[in-house]
Amino acid sequence: MNPGAYWKEGRMNTVEELDNSVTPASVGIYDRGGKKIEQTQWVIRESPVTLYLNDREIVTLLCAGHHLDELAAGFFYAEGFIVSPDDILGIDIDEEAGKVNLSAKGEASVTERLWQKRTISSGCAKGSLFYFSLDALLSKPVKSDIRITPGQIIDRVEDLNRLSETYRRTHGVHNTALADPDKVILFREDIGRHNAVDMIVGHVFLHGIPLRDKMLITTGRLTSEMLIKAAKVNIPVVVSRNTATSLAVELAGSLGITLIGHARAGKFTVYNGQERIDVGISG
Amino acid sequence: MSVYLDNAATSFPKPKAVIEASGRVLESVGASPGRGAHKHAREATAIVAGCRRKAAAILGVKDPDRVVFTKNATESINLVLKGWLRPGDRVLFSAMEHNSVMRPLTKLASRGVNIEMIPCSIDGTLDLGIFKRMLLSDVRLVVLVHVSNINGTLMPIAEAAEMCARAKVPLFLDAAQSAGLQPIEAEEMGIGMLACSGHKALLGPAGVGILYVRPDLEVLPLMEGGTGTHSEELEQPEFCPDRYESGTPNLPGLAGLSEGISYVLETGMNRIRDHEIGLAHYLENELSKIPGVRVFKPETRGSGTVSFIVEGINPADTGNILDQAFDIAVRTGLHCAPLAHQTLGTFPEGTVRVSPGFSTTMENAEYFLQGLRWIVTRRG
Repeated sequence: MNPGAYWKEGRMNTVEELDNSVTPASVGIYDRGGKKIEQTQWVIRESPVTLYLNDREIVTLLCAGHHLDELAAGFFYAEGFIVSPDDILGIDIDEEAGKVNLSAKGEASVTERLWQKRTISSGCAKGSLFYFSLDALLSKPVKSDIRITPGQIIDRVEDLNRLSETYRRTHGVHNTALADPDKVILFREDIGRHNAVDMIVGHVFLHGIPLRDKMLITTGRLTSEMLIKAAKVNIPVVVSRNTATSLAVELAGSLGITLIGHARAGKFTVYNGQERIDVGISG
Repeated sequence: MSVYLDNAATSFPKPKAVIEASGRVLESVGASPGRGAHKHAREATAIVAGCRRKAAAILGVKDPDRVVFTKNATESINLVLKGWLRPGDRVLFSAMEHNSVMRPLTKLASRGVNIEMIPCSIDGTLDLGIFKRMLLSDVRLVVLVHVSNINGTLMPIAEAAEMCARAKVPLFLDAAQSAGLQPIEAEEMGIGMLACSGHKALLGPAGVGILYVRPDLEVLPLMEGGTGTHSEELEQPEFCPDRYESGTPNLPGLAGLSEGISYVLETGMNRIRDHEIGLAHYLENELSKIPGVRVFKPETRGSGTVSFIVEGINPADTGNILDQAFDIAVRTGLHCAPLAHQTLGTFPEGTVRVSPGFSTTMENAEYFLQGLRWIVTRRG
């Protein structure tokens, strides 16, 4: 696979963006005996970016500072502030100041009141799996007929690993890809795994790409936030070369998501949703 | 707007007279009723006696001394169940009972009391046909909730009381949700024992419960102690209410309850009931029109309590969103009545319960419906 082909289509990070994402740093490398080697190393850029909705400050994210339109759209969509791409009137980016203002139609004050509000259990019944009220409201079980062979899963994880030039240069980013069984469709990387997922979500949201037949591949841990984000945007399969947490496994069960971890060295672990693994035609 | 829709748990806000009466006791009276002969004690005693007269009047009991004050309906229920039932006895209870009945009964079952459930229909109404057959063999007690704390189902108490009278079995009525809303003529209906709260539809402060025991029923007290009467004797007095009222009573609570009952009697129980049930019918109808909302309607409604779920959302989450985004207080989950939720088919997650009070307005109801519509629309 040639990653350059994807970049040319404008669906991957461009070479220029990659260059903007990293910066050289003069470092000293020491061994136990005190021997030092002077060297220049690439380090990943980290910038605070504040997201505004209709000029109201909502959150400040620490990120690599690229694809800010997708980051803002993905964040506000996944967090429930906007419902449809038609809601977006414009996205103003001030890279220098680290500010992104998304202008949107509609009233988001109710969502603002609910955002990041912890659910409270009364102890009087079987409670909720969710810890934020908005997540409970917006996460729905994912219905999808997607079937993937083990070979396809392993190939797409290997595609993801090949695509991250920045990771190879810095070891400082999380990579995330959106793929169908046969190919990677979209690739994003960032210092935060949530940011990388938000960029993917933002891109598909802005471009109206359906997600019920796609899988999300990430290098990050499979935590509850990742599952909730996938459920909110209807992604049926989530894959990582990393491990899953207990709450992620529980949520995967209730949200109907196929959860795959430890995807590396030609193997993977399915925590939930094995019915989507097509072993019949696996090569 | 802040809207309180949890009157089935406890009524709020309380009438001003209730707040003032409780406050006045703490500020100016401050004595132990029935203990001492000084002016303060005499006034305290008079306050309790006045409350007892009003409680007797509203429950249809001629002799106020048959009315006992406890700390809550749960204590009244425990007193009757543990003071009346003995190992080997058979007790019937409905499939809509609260844990205030079920937990003491379960404890008694472990001590050899035979407990048997009378089935109810899917809306919670007692099955009188089966009940009649169950009464045929030896029964020591029948325990029935008057009005469900989950969906407001009104039990056919007059018919049940008549059947119990024919079978010569005492009927123990749990009137926690109905006292102050439904007309109760305990003596005329031949009810054996009755328990209720003072802080729900009787509008008093929390901390006072009421118990009525028919004179011919030998119910043992739950505890013994000082009563301010016959203090020279080490044995507990045998007469009512002292037999069951040991220790210093909750005077601020009783002073408030006295005013709460007055408020109900002066306003008119029918007027309060019509207002609350009218709101419940409106809410039920409007909720039924919202796609994805399932309402658990009773066949016969006895209170303003409405239960529903939004399909796909845990009731606790619905309640959290109503609280956090709209400042609307509802109660979610099992409402301390898991058996009743099993009957309604809503176990183990329960329902969202909305219970308007006399001060709930149509504007409040509309605001609640707007909030719920937002949730359903946003859920998509």
